[in-house]
Amino acid sequence: MIIHIEAESDIPIYTQLTNQIIEGIARGEIAPGDSLPSVRAFAADLGVNMHTVNKSYHELEKKGIIKIVPKSGAIISSIEQMTEEKKQLIEAGFKPVIAEAFVLGMSKKEIEELVSGMLNQMKER
Amino acid sequence: MSFIIFFIITLFIAVIQTAIPYLVNRTVVFGVMVPEQYIEDKTIKKYKKYYSLSVALLSIVILVSYLVWVLSNERLDNQVALTGAVIEFALIFISITFYLYYHAKTKQLKQQNNWAENLKPMKVTDLSIRSQDEMLPWYLYLLPIISTIGLMIYTLMNYDILPNQIPTHWGPSGEADAFTDKTSFSAIKLSLGLLMMQLMFLGIHIATKKSGIKLSATSLESSRNRQLSLRKYSSWLLFVVLLGITMLMSYFQLMTIHPEIGEGFVKLIIPFSFLILVLIGTLIFAIKVGRSDKVMETTVEAKIMDLDEDKYWKGGLFYFNKNDPSIFVEKRFGVGWTLNFANPIGLVIILVPLTVFLVISFL
Repeated sequence: MIIHIEAESDIPIYTQLTNQIIEGIARGEIAPGDSLPSVRAFAADLGVNMHTVNKSYHELEKKGIIKIVPKSGAIISSIEQMTEEKKQLIEAGFKPVIAEAFVLGMSKKEIEELVSGMLNQMKER
Repeated sequence: MSFIIFFIITLFIAVIQTAIPYLVNRTVVFGVMVPEQYIEDKTIKKYKKYYSLSVALLSIVILVSYLVWVLSNERLDNQVALTGAVIEFALIFISITFYLYYHAKTKQLKQQNNWAENLKPMKVTDLSIRSQDEMLPWYLYLLPIISTIGLMIYTLMNYDILPNQIPTHWGPSGEADAFTDKTSFSAIKLSLGLLMMQLMFLGIHIATKKSGIKLSATSLESSRNRQLSLRKYSSWLLFVVLLGITMLMSYFQLMTIHPEIGEGFVKLIIPFSFLILVLIGTLIFAIKVGRSDKVMETTVEAKIMDLDEDKYWKGGLFYFNKNDPSIFVEKRFGVGWTLNFANPIGLVIILVPLTVFLVISFL
């Protein structure tokens, strides 16, 4: 999977990394059980500080998406049961973004099309 | 003999220096990063041509003068060698001067034309790139290392038959020309130096393997091809050169113990074939890697470019980037690797064995 980082974006590099890895899993480009490169190798290949990659890996681990294996890297976890708690967290993330789109002038239909367009790029499971 | 050796080496330097602008990474021109969209620019092509023509012409003048100077009169061997060394440095100095001139011109050109403007700088990597890496495994280095340790033991076992004067230096014709008194240290000094060199090569190999595989956002496929070729072929070259050095030094060591194996023709042919091996190996390496990113067609995405790293490259030659954990990075002007001077591990890998090596040879 190819990772693209916008070097001069307002979004910090570690967040871009996290998002792209999650999107990669959603699209099926990387699958549960696959391993991600070691922090050092990843940072060297991208030419970024090791802390940046480390931060992203820890964020992903906290979300339960990867499992960090000391010295060898990180492994993508298999799908867990969706808990009520996680659902609430996701809803809290969705709500302000959708509200913002609506307030800025997108119609409900447009928003629905946008979301289903994104969902179409993701792998069915 | 001296003349032939120096002439071949100088010719080799001249050919490589002339060809460099056409062997370097496609998006780096005279040490300046140029976005993929502009690498076919007319002025850039002109600069490359002028550089190569100037270096080639001056090289021919220098080599012909050297030839005429040697043939016009009887010259002493050490005179020929000294002059040879001087013209080699002169040639390198000349090409660096031309390089610096065109480095400044290209930098100016990039600024005047605002090439970096309106392009979004991107960094890119491939999560599976590490599994495509074809560098030699590190444990291959154990073979020459074990052979050297064996040689040291063998030398100490044969301590009694060693001559009272141990040779420490050999001239270009393979003849020993400096000696020291026999002690158990001086008997294995040469092999010890060899061992240090082998450890240094092993350190360089490991550090290279850990260093980043840098891909280009605008030419993903050709940069992948180049980085993987560079890594593969440089690990081969490093190992072949190390095997050559090991054989050469082991031969000198064995010749000290058993002088009869070094009689006549062998003495001349072994150092000479080592030189030829290194030169031809380097030439093949430079061409293989230099061509690796020129063969593929690339389609350029209009609005992006690679992150401009010119600020990390002092004079386009020396890399200082403390955020990059890489110890080695691909050279900008030339084919091969250079140190990330902001990373202290790199300096340690080079300096420690080198110091030990120097200390051993002056003891």
